[in-house]
Amino acid sequence: MKKITALFLALCLISGLALGCQKAPEPVAATEAQTEATTEAAPEPVTLRIYAQYADDDTKIPYDYAVAELAKAYPHVTLELDVQAQDDGQKLQTYAATGNLPDIFQVGAAQIETFKESGNIMMLDDAAKSTGYLDLAHPNAQSIIYNEDGHIYAFPYAGNELVMWYYNKALFEQYGVKVPETIDELKTAIKTFKENDIIPMSIFAKEKWITTALYDSILTRYLPEGIVALDKAKANATDEPFKQAANTLKELVSLGMLPEGATNLNYDQAAALFYEGKAAMFINGQWEIEGSTAKLGDKVDWMYYPVAPGFEGNAKALSGGGAAGGYAVSPHSEHKELAAEVAAFISQKYCEAKYMKRSNPILALDITDLVTPEKELPAMMQKLSDEMGNITSTTKFAWGLTQPEFKVAMEDQSQFLLTPDYTTDEFIAELDKVVQRLK
Amino acid sequence: MKKFFGNPWAIALFTLPTLLLFSVMVFYPIIQVFYRSLFDWNGLSAGTFVGMDNYVRLLDDKGFQVGNLNGFKFGAVITVFQLTMATLLALSLSSMRMKGKSILRVAYFIPVVLSVTVVCQLWLSIYNADTGLLNRAFAFMGIPFKQNWLADRHVAIYAIAFVNAWQWTGYQFALILAGVKSIPDSYFEAAKIDGASSWKAHRFITIPLLSETYKFCLVVSITGGIKAFTEMFIMTGGGPGNSTYTLTYTMYSAAFRSAQFGYGLAAAAVLVLECLLAIILVNKVFKTDPAVEGA
Amino acid sequence: MKNKLLKWLFGGFLWFYAAISLYPLVWMVLYSFKNNDEIFVGNPFGLPKVWRIDNYIKAWTNYDVPQYFLNSLVVAIATVCLTLALSITFAYATSRMRWRGKGLVRLYVALGMFVPVQAVLIPVARLVNGFGLTDSHLALIFPYTAFNLSFATMVFYAFFVGLPVELEEAACIDGANIFQTFFKVMIPTVQPAIWTLAIFTFLNSWNEFLLANVLVVKPALKTLPLGVLFFQGQFTTDWGAMGATMVIASLPTVLLYIFFSNQVEKALTVSGAVKG
Repeated sequence: MKKITALFLALCLISGLALGCQKAPEPVAATEAQTEATTEAAPEPVTLRIYAQYADDDTKIPYDYAVAELAKAYPHVTLELDVQAQDDGQKLQTYAATGNLPDIFQVGAAQIETFKESGNIMMLDDAAKSTGYLDLAHPNAQSIIYNEDGHIYAFPYAGNELVMWYYNKALFEQYGVKVPETIDELKTAIKTFKENDIIPMSIFAKEKWITTALYDSILTRYLPEGIVALDKAKANATDEPFKQAANTLKELVSLGMLPEGATNLNYDQAAALFYEGKAAMFINGQWEIEGSTAKLGDKVDWMYYPVAPGFEGNAKALSGGGAAGGYAVSPHSEHKELAAEVAAFISQKYCEAKYMKRSNPILALDITDLVTPEKELPAMMQKLSDEMGNITSTTKFAWGLTQPEFKVAMEDQSQFLLTPDYTTDEFIAELDKVVQRLK
Repeated sequence: MKKFFGNPWAIALFTLPTLLLFSVMVFYPIIQVFYRSLFDWNGLSAGTFVGMDNYVRLLDDKGFQVGNLNGFKFGAVITVFQLTMATLLALSLSSMRMKGKSILRVAYFIPVVLSVTVVCQLWLSIYNADTGLLNRAFAFMGIPFKQNWLADRHVAIYAIAFVNAWQWTGYQFALILAGVKSIPDSYFEAAKIDGASSWKAHRFITIPLLSETYKFCLVVSITGGIKAFTEMFIMTGGGPGNSTYTLTYTMYSAAFRSAQFGYGLAAAAVLVLECLLAIILVNKVFKTDPAVEGA
Repeated sequence: MKNKLLKWLFGGFLWFYAAISLYPLVWMVLYSFKNNDEIFVGNPFGLPKVWRIDNYIKAWTNYDVPQYFLNSLVVAIATVCLTLALSITFAYATSRMRWRGKGLVRLYVALGMFVPVQAVLIPVARLVNGFGLTDSHLALIFPYTAFNLSFATMVFYAFFVGLPVELEEAACIDGANIFQTFFKVMIPTVQPAIWTLAIFTFLNSWNEFLLANVLVVKPALKTLPLGVLFFQGQFTTDWGAMGATMVIASLPTVLLYIFFSNQVEKALTVSGAVKG
């Protein structure tokens, strides 16, 4: 017993010592404050804290590229990265509540509203002009860049992203199924595929934003504005289109459109079904184009969602859209002017990286003249790029909604709608409750 | 004796440090929970005082009702499973004569050592409707009992509760085992001389002597059930829909997903009160013999 | 005969339960060598088709593993020491000593077990910030200790309450005061509880994510569970690399636990023999 006790005590001592070391004061920080004004003349090294996503190719590649470019353009600025957690904003909100906000942070549409109210986000109108960010802005991205109050609070980099229905051409040919242009044709397709043990459409419905996207893509058949109409409280959940869409979706699901247990499938499982030829269609954002081209080559394409009888005019109304999120700046930052400049710079570099290295031309900024893609655009992306002019309207992804309470209800209820014994009446009633309160 | 046990210096020295740290770091935040639950507040702004509005709204919130009910289901599953298994395992190890006891002892505790994320990932694979071990086992035995364990809104909460029950059984096992170890051997020897079987000895000596430990285990299980969160966060995200919400999940979802901090805290306040009620009930129902308490 | 068969079956059950308790360990290690496709679709349970060492390379290169490890260790050990010291004295005073209101005080501290951490994140973070703890390990040590106190005091209470009064009476008659009795008689008696709690508290602190996620501002103070952030994206997660991160975080504790629990067991048996 004595031995362990001794060991234990020794460990305690060590930890005590280590604590002491860690607490040693750091004199560096104190001198930084005065240097800010004189950045032009003799740029003193500045470290900016940045809170950003950094977890997969889609976030690491643009970030690393932006950091490398920053080192050339602003050699005196170093970024200290704080990796964003998938925690529904808990960390950022706590930072804001304790006055620990990083100088630059990625923020979503809903959080902009909360931060705006409490003075935790800087207005970037001037920086947007002086840095030349606005000169590059894509005409289609105006609604993303400007908040409803007419100001700029974040520098977006992603453009109008869209919900795409992908399909496996080879499977459609093999079973002699026509690519559905109407809901009735879709039903026929579902039946044929089911008879042949092919899952008609794969979906990672464990994620609630994609179930929202699925409902919304059906909803645009009846109402081009989609769920945005409810988000902006311009409609009632009890209105006809919302019921029609819920009923249609319900019917498609009961015909067996989705894989069994869909609401617990994650991205990897759902994507595998599509790429292994077990599912004929797949729903995801347009960012899936690159990956699906790599896996299925020219066997894969995207389709306009099938139209509902009597609503043919909505054929080219798509679901999805840009979100007002992007890089924002803390008004409490010691170097807020510089931080705003850097935030705009990074956002532009994200656009460049996405265009050059990720085959993504749908961006908030038009940088096509500045850089060229490292490889040719995939055929599907080319098609989407060409079709952009024909798309009549877009909506929002779940994260682009501005009423967080409605967003949560929409997410939960759309996932519910995919489970067998949930009725459309329950769905409409629950949504209505929230929409009424927000009015 | 009275002076010995009533030494005020000792009482102060023994309790004040704990009370100080606890009051500052835990109790003050709890007060904040109750206070802020009376506000319409997004977590950052000043907020507006709305009185009991948030609580009134809770009554009409399906997510809250589901969450409340789920807490009890969850609590019931883990209480029954953990107490039974932990007792069985701990008493067997302390009384049976068999080889490899120390291996068993270490093994039973391993799930506790692992992080919840690992355990949940494992069970996600086991529950998987298509490739999961559970459905395959049923198929192998020829039982047509294929289930969408986590996608079925009536089954999912039990499936998740079982994961928690299984993982933390080791905790209570260790507690009960430590309790048994601290019972002086002379108690058992006396029983053996009287010719009692080892199970009988446990029934009449160990379990009564460990009544406080059991009471504690009961409280941990019940409150753990009402408070559950991480498992659903990882395994179902509260879904399908909100069918695997618990009170903590309702609170989390309101506070962080829909920026209604005040409303979320009202749910948290109800949770704290329910847990408090649970502990008081447990103490009332299983009243310890005052002779043992010694006060 | 029947009795023997029953015993045999029961022994079998004990070993079976041990096997399913050990399985996640094996599973975790295999998992950390797979990619997403194998984990979720092709091969969730078998041996990896290719042993992907690069999961470990990714885990090792994306963040400063030794630094995170050291931080975790410092925080965990300090939390254990502080928690044990505070809770054992408190539990003793509320269980064995005689004074008015001790039941209420005990219930008060038990409150900590009832509150979900998510609900108090912001006030706790404000406190940590207000006391200026953000720049040291204390940012985690104090909250961790405070939140472990409820559990620890309840465990010790349960242990103390069951002990016979004669223990102290004998010491008192020998002329020892309460402090001497507490340190020389009571602490050795509840040693099993101390070791059990030391392990529990260590694990709680070692695996804690929620508070660490919001309370640690400086990269140099991050703890091991935060390593998973580098692999969890908004849309996709690199589960293999995350598995490797979790193996790196968990294996030392598993080994430490096995080592310690055997030491503790030996010590307990010896002290038990002396006691008997």
